[in-house]
Amino acid sequence: MSIEHRSHLRREVRVAWAITMKDMRTYYTQPPSIMFGILFPFSLFLSFSIGRNVSLASQIPVLISQTLFFASSSIGPVVIPTERANQTFDRFITSPVSLLSILMGKTLAGVIYGVGISLIPVLVGIAFFGSSIISLVALIACFALSSFAFSALGIMFASIPGQTPGQVMMPLNFVRIPLLFISGVYTPVRDLPLLMQLVSLASPLTHTVELARYATGGDAFFGPLLNVVVLTCYAVLFLFMGIRFHVMNQRRE
Amino acid sequence: MENAIETKDLTKYYGDFLAVDHVGFEVKRGEIFGFLGPNGAGKTTTIRMLTGASTPTEGSASVMGFDIRSRPIEAKEQMGIVPDVSNVYGELSAWDNLIFTGKLYDMPKTFRESRAEELLRMFGLYERRDERVKGFSRGMKRRVCIAMALMNRAGILFLDEPTSGLDVQSVLIIRDLVRKLNEQGLTIFVTTHNIEEASQMCDRVAIINHGRVTAIDTPERLKRMVESLQSVEVAFDSTFPGTLESLRALPGVGEVVKEGDKFRLFTNDPPSVLASIWGFAEGKRLRVITLSTLGPSLEDVFVKLTGISPATASAQDLYRVQGRGKRDGGRRQ
Repeated sequence: MSIEHRSHLRREVRVAWAITMKDMRTYYTQPPSIMFGILFPFSLFLSFSIGRNVSLASQIPVLISQTLFFASSSIGPVVIPTERANQTFDRFITSPVSLLSILMGKTLAGVIYGVGISLIPVLVGIAFFGSSIISLVALIACFALSSFAFSALGIMFASIPGQTPGQVMMPLNFVRIPLLFISGVYTPVRDLPLLMQLVSLASPLTHTVELARYATGGDAFFGPLLNVVVLTCYAVLFLFMGIRFHVMNQRRE
Repeated sequence: MENAIETKDLTKYYGDFLAVDHVGFEVKRGEIFGFLGPNGAGKTTTIRMLTGASTPTEGSASVMGFDIRSRPIEAKEQMGIVPDVSNVYGELSAWDNLIFTGKLYDMPKTFRESRAEELLRMFGLYERRDERVKGFSRGMKRRVCIAMALMNRAGILFLDEPTSGLDVQSVLIIRDLVRKLNEQGLTIFVTTHNIEEASQMCDRVAIINHGRVTAIDTPERLKRMVESLQSVEVAFDSTFPGTLESLRALPGVGEVVKEGDKFRLFTNDPPSVLASIWGFAEGKRLRVITLSTLGPSLEDVFVKLTGISPATASAQDLYRVQGRGKRDGGRRQ
């Protein structure tokens, strides 16, 4: 890589980080971020877990997966429609930085949000419910890959032309909520019928749940290696699709 | 390189709707270039294509020598942009808005901080630099927005309707600022539907309507295009029912338009109309308060070229009455 390319790359990284920092300051405490990123996954968890004859420690990976899923994928759909409505998104498009760096900056804001929120159940599980981390590598892979994939999913949906977070959240929830029921969140993949096991293989959330279970000493039906490969593929796919859709928007707008 | 902007056959379709139709023009370095047209004419679409916010369907454009498609990053480094809406971050302070803009242009920390301080002082906002922008007035937000556009010491400044919806004081401040920036060598591309603003500020003006540029020239040369549109403006101490019709019946008068307490009489022969007005006033025992002859304004040019009349709708009738040409509907190049 030439010095010029390295310098250009460093510049892109600096600008992407500036976008991340700005989004963190501006949008983390916005009501839609709190509603869809924090309250929503915790409420769903409590709705489906309380009263079941299972230990809370065994449910910690479920809560980790849900918070990673909802929190990471909620920032893009809050930030981008709001910025589109205020026309501040045009600031990025007209600044001397690539679309990839702009969307990476936005994705990273979702990653940090998701990781930050999801660390709470990990710490609570260890401190109060006797959870233990058997594989730190699996936990780190779970957090890093899942938060990136889900944040990129949110960015991809945020390319839907809309002026309010609700206009993006609604179609996104049409995807997010059904995924909860086919991803081994409430019923382990091993206990699903064969056809549903095949369906769950295609869901990125399945691999988050499996990695979280594996990291805390549980069972990973598809195996951690396949989990990592699938999540990596989804992360790249969602980011690529997000860029494509935003380019299409620029042509349309 | 003499031209700051060059466009050739720049075109934008929204679905089947043709918003900008093969527009071609050049903006010289150091000039204030006005893009004048009614709402929906294609001004903002053109500026969005030039600044990279929207991708052209066809055609090419370069800014400061860099093609906006093949070298967008270099082209964008040369631009400062003030869109039609003040797109500032309301949750951030004025200081943070400018600093963030500096970061987007990857300006070194010391440079962006000194530049932000310089601009906030220039715009009279330094004392309120730590306040959230969402509490600012519309004029103050506009000033923050312009300051953000100047952060990177751009070579060309794009202003989309910069004074639209602002109070008189803010308008005067912004117009004065634009002139000063231009004196310092900055090229300015300004879109406006305010004819007077274009006439006062711009070295050259392009008139756009229905997505097509219908004329490009200096305001004075454009006015000469419609020199036949001379008029006499008169105000009397009192009027009576039918004054308008009586004035219209005077010899040599083509059309009469009432503008507030004044009447504007369009004519080819102002001296004889002046004499007729005196005779009319004496006959009706009216006292003339003001009487002046007017050359064509940029507004008249605008009316003629776009086929719409912002203030004097019946001026169009003059063309029809006197058979000077059909309205071109803004389709002539």
